[in-house]
Amino acid sequence: MLTFVIRRVLYSLLVLLVASFLLFWFTRQTFDPTSRLRASRDKTVVQRERERLGLNDNIVVQYGNWLKDAVKGDLGTSSRTNEEVTSMMRRAMGNTLQLIIWGALISAALAIGIGVFSAIRQYSIPDYLFTGLSYIGISMPPFWFGLLAIEVFGVQLGWFKFVGLHSGDGSSYDVDYLKHLVLPVATLCVQIVASWSRFERASMLDVMSADYVRTARAKGVPRRTVIFKHALRNALIPLVTVMALDTAALFGGLIITERIFSISGMGRMFFDALLTGDVYVVEAWMIVVALFIIMFNLFADVIYGILDPRIRLS
Amino acid sequence: MPDLRTIDLEPAAGDPGGEWRGPILEVRDLTVHFPSDDGLVKAVDGITFDVLPNETLGIVGESGSGKSVTSMAILGLLPKTALITGSVKFRGRELLGLRENELQPLRGQSIAMVFQDALAALNPVFTVGAQIAEAIKVHHEVNSKDLRERGVELLNIVGIPNPSERFDNYPHEFSGGMRQRAMIAMSIANEPDVLIADEPTTALDVTIQAQVLEVLERIQDRTSSSILLITHDLGVVAGTADRVMVMYAGREAEVGTVEDIFYNPRHPYTRGLLASLPRVDGRRGDRLHRIVGQPPSLIVLPTGCAFHPRCNDARVPGPCNDQRPELHLVEDAHSSACHYAEDLPALSTTDLAADAEETASDD
Amino acid sequence: MRTEDEVSGLPAAPLGVPSIPDGLPPAPELGGAPEPEPRSQWQLFRRRFFRHRAAVIGGGVLLFLYLVCFGAKFIAPYDKNHLNLLLGPTSPSKEHWMGTDELGRDQLTEILYAGQISLKIGMAVALMSTAIGATLGAVAGYFGRWVDQVLMRMTDLFLVVPGIAILAIALKRFGQTDTIIILVLAALGWTYVARVVRGQVLSIKEKEFVEAARAAGASSTRIITRHILPNCIGPIVVNTTLGIAAAIVTESTLSFLGFGLQKPATSWGNMLADSEGYYSHNTHLLYFPGLMILITVLCVNFLGDGLRDAFDPQSHH
Repeated sequence: MLTFVIRRVLYSLLVLLVASFLLFWFTRQTFDPTSRLRASRDKTVVQRERERLGLNDNIVVQYGNWLKDAVKGDLGTSSRTNEEVTSMMRRAMGNTLQLIIWGALISAALAIGIGVFSAIRQYSIPDYLFTGLSYIGISMPPFWFGLLAIEVFGVQLGWFKFVGLHSGDGSSYDVDYLKHLVLPVATLCVQIVASWSRFERASMLDVMSADYVRTARAKGVPRRTVIFKHALRNALIPLVTVMALDTAALFGGLIITERIFSISGMGRMFFDALLTGDVYVVEAWMIVVALFIIMFNLFADVIYGILDPRIRLS
Repeated sequence: MPDLRTIDLEPAAGDPGGEWRGPILEVRDLTVHFPSDDGLVKAVDGITFDVLPNETLGIVGESGSGKSVTSMAILGLLPKTALITGSVKFRGRELLGLRENELQPLRGQSIAMVFQDALAALNPVFTVGAQIAEAIKVHHEVNSKDLRERGVELLNIVGIPNPSERFDNYPHEFSGGMRQRAMIAMSIANEPDVLIADEPTTALDVTIQAQVLEVLERIQDRTSSSILLITHDLGVVAGTADRVMVMYAGREAEVGTVEDIFYNPRHPYTRGLLASLPRVDGRRGDRLHRIVGQPPSLIVLPTGCAFHPRCNDARVPGPCNDQRPELHLVEDAHSSACHYAEDLPALSTTDLAADAEETASDD
Repeated sequence: MRTEDEVSGLPAAPLGVPSIPDGLPPAPELGGAPEPEPRSQWQLFRRRFFRHRAAVIGGGVLLFLYLVCFGAKFIAPYDKNHLNLLLGPTSPSKEHWMGTDELGRDQLTEILYAGQISLKIGMAVALMSTAIGATLGAVAGYFGRWVDQVLMRMTDLFLVVPGIAILAIALKRFGQTDTIIILVLAALGWTYVARVVRGQVLSIKEKEFVEAARAAGASSTRIITRHILPNCIGPIVVNTTLGIAAAIVTESTLSFLGFGLQKPATSWGNMLADSEGYYSHNTHLLYFPGLMILITVLCVNFLGDGLRDAFDPQSHH
């Protein structure tokens, strides 16, 4: 098991390096860190800035320097706000993590609950209802869901808040906080709950018709135990893989959610950076997010190994 | 082989208990039909047989003959869509129509089952030991230490080396034969009266097959249980069974002792099966005999006798394609469902070979 | 004995029928006895497909949408971009079935024309990414070894960064016209199809009829095109269909964020972005474009699932 994890970690680092290099290259080609200065009257300013930032070096060298700094914790300076990217990111991460953690937990719980329930009560009315809802959930663009939610639940009904995570200057974690949390988390999760619950239902149905479930029944194991012990354990395994693969989508979804709900998190940061061509923020964002995604995937691999002894022991 | 038992098991719940002197299992006119898009699949179409205490009854037939469905019907493991009629009595108690919570105490305790592919039939995420222990735990209150001891003992009984280590292994860590033995161990954990073995050797090499069959025999010696041995392989049945029931297209073809079936088969299908066994003393260049044609669709069965389209001895037009033959006694404890069972000449092995040549020359 | 149109969400398993004709009828299996008379593959497929009412309806509505949108010139009640500044935004009425926006433009007209773009992008991206993905996946699966490794590593790269992010940057770099959007979305979308087709090819490659063909001297190209790919048709068609859904949602999301289609081109996503300040009093501006996306994608999903079940009914007991 340990060698398995180590190999995965090393491989992931390699992927991280290659991906971040390619993205770095791509970003530098797309954006010019000195674009602000181009309007200046002093024509040499641009040249000097380029020298200072090392933009005339070979791209590999640029990447190397950037990486060296990044590892030391220096992710550059935002060309938009002139703030240190690292501190910007720390602040943004705080907000974003709240969304992600709540989102992931609630999504997983709902998806497993709905999926298992639908599989056990296959073809019942609630099953059809859930299936219909999942279809809609998967087919609806998340940003539109967010806008609708704001309009209906925020503006018309006034049940929830939809600007930021706290009212005014508050930072307490109380009911007001929850009122701010509901809609953004729902927007972030609607698509993944829909798709994960369908997947879990299918996985559960597959497992329930497996031979070993038949054996358990033939042994006299009570139906409830057959479902929740024998079937569910096996049905969760493929779901873990799917969940890991979807973390990238989750980060993408943040961009939309934070923009719509005016939350100052990683998504908002990226959005603003892209609009203004804030190169250093974009680059930093890419590598930090990639790092997170890789960590989530490794975590999922470990869980997968825990759940499935066939992987663990090979 | 240690003969000690570490735990005393209570008699099975729901078991009428007491003395029961009749056949352990009585099946009368069992039919199992499955509705499907193309029509009604008559997987089992009216079979009647008994299983006596301490005997091994072999049920022989090809894929689709209904043998597995029969065994699942006994334990109530068929899907809810199945339409089951007839009667299945265990120790005089009717099983068909029992609710799930009434069947549960019987499963794995009075009647147990061993399945074909042990790798698929064992849960891959639990240790073999845990699964054996579970078989006991669902029926008896036993502490984990005793459960483990009993489990290790069971592994030992079926001949698995290093049983206490193996107890903590997962199914995929066992070899095929060992796995099958482990499944057998699990099924006898509660010393059932009837052990249904559904193709227990089909997925195994021939040498391992013999070992597993030997394990089954040994167990039967110890526990005096009855074994329902389901297989498509006549060779398996020849060495292990006391009586044999041959099934075809969901119906019974012939029932009798092993000797009766092998030396005096009274149904053309049985004879065809026997003739198609490769012979050690056959001549070089002999072609393998086969029964011409294909098994029939279980939705649209042939009229009259289900086998008649493929039967060399069929008299058509006549009762063979007109009336369904009923199982009737041909001689003592030997029945056949063929209209002309009595008229079939007594066979010797050379006759079967001649049959083979005849069919070969028909090609 | 499946009688319900339930979905698996999992990639479809192989067709399981070799393309070299097999003369003998299959032996009956338990509960799955052969039909009393044999039917061709196509008939079976058609029968299974038309049993899924949702898929048939979805396909029909989709067709209707495509026809109506691309026929906008003939169907739309007003000219495209016909302004009526004095009118301003109004709710749906007899003259304007879907109301008007802040510039007085008839929304039904706008939606139809915007639909052209959205639907066009959806289909083009799906076709392109499937073509690329299927080819690469088949090659990787068939030739294996280092070709396969290279492909797998490449697809791994795409997994670590959110797609939207890469797409947004790419569009900033290359431009935000509909053609470029199509190319960029396809360049990102092929990885999923490639993985699925590769898996398919790997399992088919091991089957005996491929060995037989190889033993008979067939070239690799011939084996791939005549034996392997036909058995992949199922997943390929299904993925193309479902790819339309993904492409439409992605494009509308990007356009809404401002990273996608630039004015004056309109797509449904753009329409939602334009009217963002006006929603509260003109909810029709929020509902209709989004509803169009929802309906389109819903129909695509129904259709795709129906196709998947029609190609491979064994994906569930």
